[in-house]
Amino acid sequence: MSENPSVPLPRTELQRRYERRMQLLVPAGLEMLRGLKLFAGIPEKARDKVIEKVRKYIHVASFVPGDVVMREGDYSDSAYYIVSGEVEVVLSPVPGRKERPQVRGGAHAPPAGAAPGPQLTGMIGRPETNGTIMLSGFPVDALPSRRILMGADEVFGELSALSRYPISATVVAQEPLSLLQLRLPALRMLMAASKEFKAFLDQRYRERTLARHLRNVSLFATVDEPFLERVKAQAELLSFEPGQLIVSEGTPADAFFLVRGGYVKVSVRTGSSELAVTYLRKGDYAGEAALLLDEPWPFSLQALEHVELVKLPRDTFRELLAAYPELQEILWTESIARLKARGSVLRQPVSSEYVQMAMDTGLIHGESVLLIDLHTCTRCDECVRGCASAHGGEPRFIREGLKYRNWLVPTACYQCTDPVCMVDCPTGAITRQVGTLEVTIDEPTCIGCTNCAKRCPWNNIVMVERDEKRADGKPVEVASKCDLCLGRKEGPACVQMCPQGSAVRVSFKDLDRVRATLE
Amino acid sequence: MRLGRALRPKEPRHFLVATAAGALVVLTFVVASWLRPWSPKRGLGLFFGIAAALAFVLEMAYPLRRPKGRFFGTAKAWLQIHVYVGSVAFVGVLAHAGFRWPGGAMGWGLLLLSAWVCGSGLVGVLLQKWLPAALAEGLRVEALYERIPSLVDGLTREADALMADTSEALERFYADEVRPRLSRPTPSWTYLLDVRADRERSLGPFERMARFVEPEEQARVADLMSLFTEKLELDAHYTVQGLLRRWLIVHVPPAGLLMALLVVHVVTWMRY
Repeated sequence: MSENPSVPLPRTELQRRYERRMQLLVPAGLEMLRGLKLFAGIPEKARDKVIEKVRKYIHVASFVPGDVVMREGDYSDSAYYIVSGEVEVVLSPVPGRKERPQVRGGAHAPPAGAAPGPQLTGMIGRPETNGTIMLSGFPVDALPSRRILMGADEVFGELSALSRYPISATVVAQEPLSLLQLRLPALRMLMAASKEFKAFLDQRYRERTLARHLRNVSLFATVDEPFLERVKAQAELLSFEPGQLIVSEGTPADAFFLVRGGYVKVSVRTGSSELAVTYLRKGDYAGEAALLLDEPWPFSLQALEHVELVKLPRDTFRELLAAYPELQEILWTESIARLKARGSVLRQPVSSEYVQMAMDTGLIHGESVLLIDLHTCTRCDECVRGCASAHGGEPRFIREGLKYRNWLVPTACYQCTDPVCMVDCPTGAITRQVGTLEVTIDEPTCIGCTNCAKRCPWNNIVMVERDEKRADGKPVEVASKCDLCLGRKEGPACVQMCPQGSAVRVSFKDLDRVRATLE
Repeated sequence: MRLGRALRPKEPRHFLVATAAGALVVLTFVVASWLRPWSPKRGLGLFFGIAAALAFVLEMAYPLRRPKGRFFGTAKAWLQIHVYVGSVAFVGVLAHAGFRWPGGAMGWGLLLLSAWVCGSGLVGVLLQKWLPAALAEGLRVEALYERIPSLVDGLTREADALMADTSEALERFYADEVRPRLSRPTPSWTYLLDVRADRERSLGPFERMARFVEPEEQARVADLMSLFTEKLELDAHYTVQGLLRRWLIVHVPPAGLLMALLVVHVVTWMRY
């Protein structure tokens, strides 16, 4: 690349590039798709039907040498299949990764360099598969060379799309490039239609990423490599559709589940109703109580959205406990907490309402949700004024929104665990620093494409006009959202400037705190 | 119950400290005036006067909390200090005057203004604790005060659309009895006592109307009633939020006047 990446490009140039990119993104033709290896695993009889079905989620994208296809740290909802041409995978230098000025990773996802690296040295390069290689599976920390080239019929970016993990490397076009952009629904449909494709993705995940994910779970953090290899080999990878029941309360417990992606509702039956006890998210696990006690499932588990699970058979789980007795303490603590929560919900069904509300409204995604206690709020708008004064006179939230009992959830960014607003930002203007909550928008780089605003399911991002004019004479619009008053040492102004102490921020990761606040 | 909650201090510790400070002022006055005749111009009488004046200066600095809650960290801390220091300062004014009626016009002016500013402030605190809870518990709808007129407009438009092409009886009912009350916000003092005041009486005609119209129009009447209920709730918000914003008129200008009189009082005392 001839450009110096540390010198920001002017907004007009960014806009021009984005428009060109959009022009080069065209729907994929049926004939073209039929001839691709990607669909070879689908039974011939069903192939045309499947292609017809997924076609609306597939676009052909063209790039010229030097174009960035994916940027490290970004979130994406697409995988890419290389039709022709070659790309270079650029990985940040490993040691400390300090030189990365901007790492866009979810708060949940530690930097790649931070996790104890699995022994993956044998997996470099292009494995002997059906010609497909998964970028997401690259053992980033183990690569001796920083340069990888990928050519026709290879796929990259699928893990980031499926699990909503930040992209682990930057992908740059090396020569005129034609790609298929496979949006998430297309990926899921292909996984359902083609056993081969699903097995292939699972295999790549198992070989290259599962170990890293397991290591990030406290339970497996200290397990030795040979044991982890066994766990990897015996683990079953499961996918569930939204609403699908994973396990039913009272059925025999024969497995331990680890959540790889998505949200799972944990509920308990009482009479004819199902009461929500808690929810599980990426990195959480379930099944330990039943297996430890040798009892049937004390809860039901249900997928709240597309859920990816890692299933460990009971025997493997027992072996794990036998080999690492110290893990029992962690598991017992967790089990007792869950069983207590179960008991509390059964005794006081009203306490399940908060959990249900959080699931129904999507607040479970929020890592820092602004709540206003309407019992004490005098509607003085000092919170809005405080916000405005912290942001050059322009407030970043609106004091209206969902009302639940005496709590108002204003229209303010929730700082989601998996910020979908960060998917598809063409200039990388919307970012989150590793280990922080704040999802921020860099205004000079924002070209006002509205992708983030459209993607936010809660309309917490708004477009605001600037005095500047675009090339077509229209005013420049930029995306604006709450950034938790990043850099303000007093913390978020909305909370600090509330004279009644009615404004609070809570993380829906911490259900106990949520309950304590709302009750 | 709501009154009990409104009277309960938000920070009991602050309340106790302020009460103790007020009691200390009174006790000091009792002991000191027993030992020797009390005078506002010397000794502890003068001390309480100066302390109360300084407290009033601090009270006037309340807007300084913006934009970063400076000095006391948060706006909540500022408000707590404002309320309790102001209350204790008033006890200080009384002690300064020797708990006696003042002699001249200036003394009366200062005493009455202090009492008014302190009293209106405490009434404001009570309103700020009473009314939000009433709104939160009694109403389903939540609205931004500035947007209420436009929300009412929206409801009126919705109701107009709903009542287009309807039966003559329903049309007349809408035109005569509903629309005039629907078309603009109608604040009422009764909402201050009960945010759901008058609701049953206001909705009664809808229920009666529903009995008279054809079965296929009953759903329309129910929808209209729901729009009208929303309007009543917006009226309650408009009244209550309006008061929560406007009560400061009886507090802030007199406080300014008090400060002006205080300056005159201090200058007069220093010069003469």
